[in-house]
Amino acid sequence: MGHFDRTLELIDQLQHAGTAAAVCEKLLGVTSGFGLTALMAGTVPQPGTPRNQQKDHVLLCDWPAEWLERYVARNYVDHDPVVSHMKQLQAPFQWREASQGIRIGKSGGEVMGDAGEFKLRDGLAFPLITLDGQIVMVSLGGEAVELSSAEFGLVSLVSTYAIGRAMQLHTMAGKTIDHVELTPRERECLQWAAVGKSEWEISQILGISEHTSEKHLLNAKSKLGAVNRVQAVAEAIRRGYIN
Amino acid sequence: MLFSLTTQELMERPDLWEAVHRLRYRVFVEEMGWTDLQRPDGLEIDQFDHDEAVHQIVIRNGELAGYQRMLPTTRAHLLTDVLADLYEGTPPSGPNVYELTRYAVAPGFRDGRRGVSTVGTELIAGFVEWGLKRNVNQVIIEFEPMWVLRALQLHFLATPLGYQRTYGNQQVVATLLTFNEHTLDVVRSRRNHFAPVLARGYPDMLGQRRAS
Repeated sequence: MGHFDRTLELIDQLQHAGTAAAVCEKLLGVTSGFGLTALMAGTVPQPGTPRNQQKDHVLLCDWPAEWLERYVARNYVDHDPVVSHMKQLQAPFQWREASQGIRIGKSGGEVMGDAGEFKLRDGLAFPLITLDGQIVMVSLGGEAVELSSAEFGLVSLVSTYAIGRAMQLHTMAGKTIDHVELTPRERECLQWAAVGKSEWEISQILGISEHTSEKHLLNAKSKLGAVNRVQAVAEAIRRGYIN
Repeated sequence: MLFSLTTQELMERPDLWEAVHRLRYRVFVEEMGWTDLQRPDGLEIDQFDHDEAVHQIVIRNGELAGYQRMLPTTRAHLLTDVLADLYEGTPPSGPNVYELTRYAVAPGFRDGRRGVSTVGTELIAGFVEWGLKRNVNQVIIEFEPMWVLRALQLHFLATPLGYQRTYGNQQVVATLLTFNEHTLDVVRSRRNHFAPVLARGYPDMLGQRRAS
């Protein structure tokens, strides 16, 4: 089988991978041949994004777990020369260019030194831009990285397919969580609440107790993730559950 | 509104014909620097503007806002004739495969700093709708590798046809995109616009805004 056919087969497997972990494994299977053994990809958080939200930006991750912990705990994303280099350049580059080409502040040097501790001495990074203009940063690292510019192209193309698959899986997962199942009674109560009826009035209209109508509305509120009845009604209308 | 016209139909509308070739010149010669296509009249025209080419045009407020050209793969097209180093093996062809070329959004309609503009996604929705109506389910596109991500976000099935190459300062990879009704649903929901975009007939004279 030719070189290109192997690439095709791999890309096909990537597009059928069922989990982010499977995507990672397939991708690293290729890149490890070039010394790239660790992977991190995600949307770039705005500087100052709270630490507890930084991990939500991750799409694919196969970095050493301790390194990720330290990276987030020390807020390295705001000081990482690879990240800032990418924001400026918006093109593929090797990590070593990021540390050579620009002056690294003290904190930037600390990030790179720390990465070395985790056997991430060099790597390559490139930005991708989504449909809505979000920047996705892809960073692959390892201890000894050797690749020609053609191989660089191959790695970035295959990575793009991997990120695309990860984003598909991400949206699909988002949809399952997002879908809310309201009972017919909950929907009826919301519908009457939407035209301004009180719990007592709703109970009279539907022939149920006031307590029961209150319970239906509370359930609907929590299912819709709303903080009060007004928001529950607005959310139900927005999602098209009532009109 | 997206209009799909044959070369013959386009030539019957000199205002549109000129706007199309002028936009192509502006985008591909002046912005992208494809100097091979330079001409003193500022119109970009090539050998593939033949009688089987399909010109898809997005009109906004009486102005040409977007354009793309669909070429049948049952005769010579860009990939086979001009960009032959972009494919390995035998490129796909047949009545169900078209090549999408000259995808362009006019400068005034590129809203959004980096993302794809609404005219850009209308062109995408347009070719998918157009294709599904006539049993075309695959397009070949030579684009920047970045677009692979966007195609996957829209649930196209993407397959590279060859290695990526560098032309000038641009990376290009030939890719086959396969689509179905599900793709159209995803494209429409990403646009938050569910009505068909493909219009019948001809657009009004350019420069004339519709009353409503």
